[in-house]
Amino acid sequence: MANWSKLQTRSFLESSARDRAIGLVDEGTFTELAGPFDRMSSPHLVALGEAVEFDDGVVTGVGRIGKRPVFVISQEGRFIGGAVGEVGGAKMVTTIDLAIGFADELRAANPKIAPDELPLVAISFETGGVRLHESNAGLLAHAEVMDAFQRARGKVPVVALIGSRIGCFGGMGFVAAATDVIVMSEFGRLGLTGPEVIEEEMGKDEFDASNRALVYRTTGGRHKYIMGDCNFLVDDRIAAFRGQVTELCKLPVGDFEQFRRIGSAALVEKQMRAVALAAEMQPKDAYDVWRRAGNNDPAGLGDAPVDDFRKQAQRLSV
Amino acid sequence: MKVERQWNTLERDTAQRMEAAARFIGPGKQVKVEDVVPLLEAVVRPGDKVNVEGNNQKQADFLAEALCKVDPAKIHDLHMVQSSVPLAAHLDVFEKGIAKKLDFAFGGPQSGRVATFIREGKLELGAIHTYLELFGRYCLDLTPRVSLICAYEADREGNLYTGFNTEDTPVIVEATKFRKGIVIAQVNKIVDKLPRVDIPADWIDAVVQSPKPFFIEPLFTRDPGLVTERHILLAMMCLKGIYGEYGVKRINHGIGFLTSAIELLLPTYGEELGLKGKCCTQLVLNPHPTMIPAIESGWIEAIYCFGGELGMENYVRARSDVFFTGPDGSLRSNRALAQTAGHYALDMFIGSTLQIDQYGNSSTATANRVAGFGGAPNMGCDAKGRRHSTDSWLKCGREVPSMNELIGDMPRGKRLVVQGMETFGEGRAPAFVDRLDAWKLAENAKLDLPPVMIYGDDVTHLVTEEGIAYLNRCADLETRMAAIRAVAGYTEVGLRAKPEETKRLRDDGIVKTAADLDIDPDTATRDRLAARNMRELVDWSGGLYNPPARFRNW
Amino acid sequence: MALNTLEFECKAEAASVRLAAPVHYGVVGSGDLEVILEPRDLEGAVTVKITTPVAGFDAVWRKVLETFVNRAKLADVAIDINDNNASPAVVSMRLQQAFAETAA
Repeated sequence: MANWSKLQTRSFLESSARDRAIGLVDEGTFTELAGPFDRMSSPHLVALGEAVEFDDGVVTGVGRIGKRPVFVISQEGRFIGGAVGEVGGAKMVTTIDLAIGFADELRAANPKIAPDELPLVAISFETGGVRLHESNAGLLAHAEVMDAFQRARGKVPVVALIGSRIGCFGGMGFVAAATDVIVMSEFGRLGLTGPEVIEEEMGKDEFDASNRALVYRTTGGRHKYIMGDCNFLVDDRIAAFRGQVTELCKLPVGDFEQFRRIGSAALVEKQMRAVALAAEMQPKDAYDVWRRAGNNDPAGLGDAPVDDFRKQAQRLSV
Repeated sequence: MKVERQWNTLERDTAQRMEAAARFIGPGKQVKVEDVVPLLEAVVRPGDKVNVEGNNQKQADFLAEALCKVDPAKIHDLHMVQSSVPLAAHLDVFEKGIAKKLDFAFGGPQSGRVATFIREGKLELGAIHTYLELFGRYCLDLTPRVSLICAYEADREGNLYTGFNTEDTPVIVEATKFRKGIVIAQVNKIVDKLPRVDIPADWIDAVVQSPKPFFIEPLFTRDPGLVTERHILLAMMCLKGIYGEYGVKRINHGIGFLTSAIELLLPTYGEELGLKGKCCTQLVLNPHPTMIPAIESGWIEAIYCFGGELGMENYVRARSDVFFTGPDGSLRSNRALAQTAGHYALDMFIGSTLQIDQYGNSSTATANRVAGFGGAPNMGCDAKGRRHSTDSWLKCGREVPSMNELIGDMPRGKRLVVQGMETFGEGRAPAFVDRLDAWKLAENAKLDLPPVMIYGDDVTHLVTEEGIAYLNRCADLETRMAAIRAVAGYTEVGLRAKPEETKRLRDDGIVKTAADLDIDPDTATRDRLAARNMRELVDWSGGLYNPPARFRNW
Repeated sequence: MALNTLEFECKAEAASVRLAAPVHYGVVGSGDLEVILEPRDLEGAVTVKITTPVAGFDAVWRKVLETFVNRAKLADVAIDINDNNASPAVVSMRLQQAFAETAA
């Protein structure tokens, strides 16, 4: 097993799903559930003659940060682009339900339990969405995860962590948007339709997917931070993500409402104001919006070291 | 008996052509975009040797396309003499019957078409050269009658600024102009004052401002994010078993992820081994972005460049102690001089190949692509004309047991020529084969001989994940073949290795595994890289490196 | 076009190394694989199961696995591999890494 202390300094971007899961919680506390030794591979892939993985590309388990039980879901992008199929999806849903059930149990046993002793769910996304090989089952899994979020709301906070190679796209982009709080690194990307699909549908003039600078300044962590689509922008180290989750672990579940981007009448109105602004501005590039948010030198800000970016960036308010 | 003859026919012919072209050439030698095709039809004659500038970096693309538009009834049977043929237009001239024969050095993306055209009789191949070899022939029997070149800027008199990407321009212009040939330049911009003059206006006959800037490819940019643990293991073995073992100072790094890994390990693993200042101090090399951490860490004294590399302009300008820059501050690259340095002044060439045969001959040719050689063979060989000595060159030569069979007791050094690759490449294709695909290509494309990148007798070291074969330490071909087998892994060639034979080679120091070098493969991790992605390269450069959009990861 | 499963048994010449605990290593990325090594009473032998979309490399798989088992002197171990087009060099490296994990 990977050395926990070494994992802390490791690049989050470079780390496997399992290393991210282990490094996110306190040293030695991670217990994997439905792990590789349980050999829960996808039966659909076998039938199609496609390579399978013992954990179906999703690492699930539970550990602790301080006193708080942290249920971890971590997607592996190197296995079929982190695409979510039936087994992996079921593992995600079950993990969230375990957290909810555990929260209920703890509260029933001790109604005065301290908020920071109640469970939290952390999801490290690395996925392009549905695994097309098992489309219906994969889609259903997305809906079930969303449903589980609704059950968790007000009981167990759900934190999204996005900073891996594949980013978080497709249906899982919706899923991430439905979490309580989103933590990204500058290398993380979040969106619905992936860059290649946009190019395919709308043409290269509309969106050149091979232009990685364009892709990142439209879907990357810096842009999402300015737009308010992500709540926190952290360094690309496991320790940095862990540090942010540790801070969040101190908060009672009610405090997580302040981080949500969707899910209330007020937030819907805010989204509508953003849509109106887009209609008014007709931005040609993400940097137009950065400028509108009060950043006079968007290109300079985009290239600045991430620490300077955090200090200087003005976030869009609508 | 003295024969009366005219001694300036070339000059008179040129004057005639220029007269026909005069109406298209305005003040400052400027030609309008729409007049370029008629200009070419005026100055080019059937059967001419014509050069279209372009190597594997910058391209005179506008002029290349204009040449495709001339009337094949007027202009045909051209003999193209040029460094490389990466653009579609370079082959379209053959398709259209404008050109007939090709002498070149490097194929690039069109190398499949080259093979097809040869087979179909559309293209008659003169020869595949190395850059230096071809440049040499420009000055002897392949002198261009007309050359179509490219530059960043021209001034109002026709002086040119080729700057960062000077590359092949000087040698082409020199060979063409001083044999009364005609030189036409495409430039991105015509300005009042150039940053500096790279090519004087006297040597230029016509200048056109192209509708869009010339095409240039960031060919030497390797994203550190794609360096694998296997590259790192090989790189560690190279640093310890070769760089350190021989104390090699003057090096060329071939293009590829192994050499990128080496570059990114210099400030980490290289420093751990105590090699800083002792190894890899001078390089003939394009401005590789992956060199930034080593340069910033003080490893590098000098780098001379073949060409430029997109995005490295400001960084190079700010590091004039390391790079060769002009009075204006920008880099002046020069392929001919860099290749000369590469041939004579290097102690080591290290690169990768697609295939290597059981004798150690290697090639990047596949059965249906005439890829060409570029510059690798001039560096990946022992320069027989070399007369100065360095410690690493002497040590490598001293280790050759058969040296005395050729020159008695006379001491002589040898260049280190290192080929490093995994035993299996892309799509599980074995890197070690009994017979190179180059043989099949020779047959398919009717070549005189199989195109070999580096001949077995020049290769001194082979590095794979199985270990290093010190081929320079082998007394005869039989031993060399055994050493090659020993590092060929699970390929057909490798499966013939005999354990007792390999053991003997290891005992004799002819083969060293990672364990023999005291390297634990488990420590070959990406954590060792000085930069693990493009963003970190930018950070190392203090924001001076400006990677092309497609390489950005933030 | 179902997945291919390759199963065989081998025995190290100087089989003496047994595992204290099972270990899992690797990710089934493109050109990569994962492996599970588990202690099992096999009278000194080692069983191998490989699940892969690639067909026709049985002899090479055998050779790579036998070399690994012999070098590591493994005994009484069940090896279970999910492969996705890994080259023999990668297979060999991952097996080594998995084995190194057991010592860690």
